[in-house]
Amino acid sequence: MRIFHNTQIDFLGKRKLFYVVSLVFIVVGMIVLSINGIPRGIDFQGGTELQMRFEKDANSSDIRSIMDNAGLPGMEIKTMGDEKNLLLRTPIQGEGQTVADKIEGALKDNLKDNPFQVMRVDKVGPKIGKELTENALKAVIFSLFGILIYLSFRFQFVYSLGAVIALFHDVLITISAVAISDALIPGLRLELSQTMLAAFLTLIGFSVNDTVIIFDRIRENIKLFKNEDIEKVMNKSVNATLSRTIITSGTVFLTVLVLFLFGGEVLRDFSFTFGIGIITGTYSSVFVASSIVVDWKHFRLSKDKLTVAAKRR
Amino acid sequence: MKKNLTRIVITLIFVLASIIYIYPTYKDYSLGKQLSSLTGNDSIDFVTNNAEKIRDARDGRIKLGLDLKGGMYVVLDVDVVKLLEDVAKTKDDPTFVKILEDLKVISETSDENILTIFKQKLAEKGLTLKNFYGEITDDESAIEKKLQDAIDNSIDRAISVVRNRVDRYGVAEPQIQKIGGKRIIVELPGVSNPDDVRKLLQGTAQLTFQLLKEGDAEAKILNDINKTLAKLKDSTGTNFSSSNLLMTDESKTKETITKVDTTKKKTDSKETAGQNKDQKKDVKKETDKTKKDTSKTKKDTLKTKKDTLKTKKDTTNLSDTTSESDTTKSQYNPFFELFDAELSQSAGGPVASSLNKEKIERILKMDAIKAILPSDVQIAWSQRVIEAKGDKFQVMYLLKKDAELTGKVVTDARATFDQQSTGRPIVEMEMNSEGTADWARITGANINKKCAIVLDGVVYSAPVIKNKITGGRSMIEGMANLEEAKLLAIVLQSGALPAPLKIIQERSVGPSLGEDSIRKGLTSSLLALIFVALFMIVYYRFGGSIADLALFINVLFVLGIMASFKATFTVPGIAGLILTLGMAVDTNVLIFERIREELLTGKPLKSALEIGYKKAFSAIIDSHLTSVITGIILYIYGTGPIKGFAVTLLAGICSNLFTAIVITHFIFDILLEKGKKLSFG
Repeated sequence: MRIFHNTQIDFLGKRKLFYVVSLVFIVVGMIVLSINGIPRGIDFQGGTELQMRFEKDANSSDIRSIMDNAGLPGMEIKTMGDEKNLLLRTPIQGEGQTVADKIEGALKDNLKDNPFQVMRVDKVGPKIGKELTENALKAVIFSLFGILIYLSFRFQFVYSLGAVIALFHDVLITISAVAISDALIPGLRLELSQTMLAAFLTLIGFSVNDTVIIFDRIRENIKLFKNEDIEKVMNKSVNATLSRTIITSGTVFLTVLVLFLFGGEVLRDFSFTFGIGIITGTYSSVFVASSIVVDWKHFRLSKDKLTVAAKRR
Repeated sequence: MKKNLTRIVITLIFVLASIIYIYPTYKDYSLGKQLSSLTGNDSIDFVTNNAEKIRDARDGRIKLGLDLKGGMYVVLDVDVVKLLEDVAKTKDDPTFVKILEDLKVISETSDENILTIFKQKLAEKGLTLKNFYGEITDDESAIEKKLQDAIDNSIDRAISVVRNRVDRYGVAEPQIQKIGGKRIIVELPGVSNPDDVRKLLQGTAQLTFQLLKEGDAEAKILNDINKTLAKLKDSTGTNFSSSNLLMTDESKTKETITKVDTTKKKTDSKETAGQNKDQKKDVKKETDKTKKDTSKTKKDTLKTKKDTLKTKKDTTNLSDTTSESDTTKSQYNPFFELFDAELSQSAGGPVASSLNKEKIERILKMDAIKAILPSDVQIAWSQRVIEAKGDKFQVMYLLKKDAELTGKVVTDARATFDQQSTGRPIVEMEMNSEGTADWARITGANINKKCAIVLDGVVYSAPVIKNKITGGRSMIEGMANLEEAKLLAIVLQSGALPAPLKIIQERSVGPSLGEDSIRKGLTSSLLALIFVALFMIVYYRFGGSIADLALFINVLFVLGIMASFKATFTVPGIAGLILTLGMAVDTNVLIFERIREELLTGKPLKSALEIGYKKAFSAIIDSHLTSVITGIILYIYGTGPIKGFAVTLLAGICSNLFTAIVITHFIFDILLEKGKKLSFG
């Protein structure tokens, strides 16, 4: 069986169009992000969070009023899958574990006919949240930097620069996509959490894979077709690796889709984010990383021509 | 062929190693399954009989993170500001109060050195540390150093207190770790009652001085337990626990009993050999330290030793009585045999190995045993662990329940060296006036008896009281090294300077949520694996099936690597495993696509295979190494579960490189040599 066999698609010829597409998406995403934002999870926000399983369906508004009466106003209440599984969250941290105890106590007193089980309690102080944010930023920046350094050893610098710009683009697109989907699909409940951070770093690792494999082929083909135009060589390389690109991205996307559907609550943020990352990672390998290299080479070439022309004169 | 042979051998070694490393995990699982099918006494028997097996399996299994297993993760913050307030000379000064309040707010969000910030704040108001701390004669830097020491000490003390309590709580595989300047991470897998743990961790440490039940009183209690236990086991008819375990231990006990008799003479004669440093611990007045005293101590030590021997003698007596009443063998001592006679002798108290300690604790919790224990007795274990015979041993102490004194009266404790006579490490302890009076009375009334220094129910030292201590200054001798002396000093200070701990982060995951996560994680991994495997076969035919084999070996390797490095498996770790599968597929696809290309140019299969692998190599290396970079960074900056993800990912990258480049390659080579027709779809 063979798909995408012997394709001759002119990917790079359409790069200007895709620059625009990417830019528009990112701009829209950033606007949505600045208006709506991605809700920050307990990791980054600080506060107390309880995941509980009730025996019978529990009414969120009842629980909210119980919490208001218990002196814990503004409790965030979310259902998880069904009305029996609830997530309660408040930015209040309190001394020790008093907040969680208070929540449990109030529910026990007021919902006598609906016993519950506390599945998980998280309490995060403000110090931790601040550190996590710092570490998250550091992790992303250092990863990009590490990749830039490694690739400049293996390829011409402009390639590694293209790859890293593509990665940065992937991160932006994914953030935008997360913000937009969160705004459009109400039941999705995405949250900026540690697992989502892991997804971002994984997508960086995965997306650079794609880029590296295409670059590897370009590196090889440049030697083979020395006299051909760089854009042609690159198109040839992208087409040659297309089958591999689609198959691997497809299978990994499939596994991530399985995770998203069956992996449970904890892996949802991860699989959603990474799933988007796979798509944009594949896209950017061709339309960002390779395109930037082509444009740079053209730019250098025309500059060289100009200088050559100037010298002749 | 020779090249292939080495590859085959290496592969087999790795596969075998992985299986060996994964085996305890399987064993642990099957033992757990057996255990859960049993109820009541059967399950207790099962645990007792298979204690060693269970422990080995538990030690070797792949660790599950808190998110999978359930349990608690707590970050504690040592309240340094409170300490600064406690040790200040004047606490009422309004500027000082204001500065401390500011400091409190800062300390909540910053991990910088609090003392430095404190000094800056003081300087802003034109003040120095000297205004509030130290003697008039001290200079500023000396005060700062003292305060910094006090802060560092309080953190060390907090850690030792926490460790002590966690150990006593009996959590399997607890992790206690200092992070940053003043924070402690505590991980307690499998803990299902967060409330208890919270109280356990945040309560103030209880330091007490308690006298020991010694001599006949001690012997009687131990004897009673032994007798009751023997009867109890008889009446159940099953010898209580595994009969073969008892039998092996019985023979051991018999041996040691004779040894006890021989060593008894030996110890009598070689009392001056100074072998038993532990016995030399004694509290004496600092003012009179002559050599006579030292020799006197040794006599005291000897006396306690004799007491222990007496206990042992009783043991034999007891066995005699049992043999009279019963047809069973004479040395049926279900309780005594849990102690190591030889070590008990040298330590001057009953000594048990860590495994037997667990058994003893279970025995002591039995109702029948509780009923015969005198109400004024508290059983405690030594903090110090004796490492001998390839095992870890601890001393059991029978304490008088009512504390003679609490640690609040201790005003200072220092570890130093005895400069006047022996030059050995000692601890000097000072008490306040109230304590001094009580201490004089207590020591005066109990000369030559032992007084245990107990922190949160754990005995840190049990020195012999040498004489009446009237001045409030005591000296404790007999520490093996300065480290031990320092620890004791830290423990003694915990009464005077409590280190308040605040829980700043806490995660607790109920066991049912963990099970849920495991189930969902496994289902989705399996599903993903099946999908991908099917696709590979459909798309690449024969080549695909070899790739599937590589996929399977990959999972085996990753689990093996995780087990051998004692890494922890978390929910994101499951994601990491699935990702590894994705990458394994990627690598194979890369190679196969190359082979197909070469085949298309009309090359024969053999050279297409070689060239395919060769050309794919650089891309594989580059893509894996970039993933390694992100994996390492994730490991450095991630916490808890995310670290687990990074570990799985890194393990996956390594095993994937190996399987793709070595294993599948030689399988194809061998098949080609045998003249098989390989198809790549």
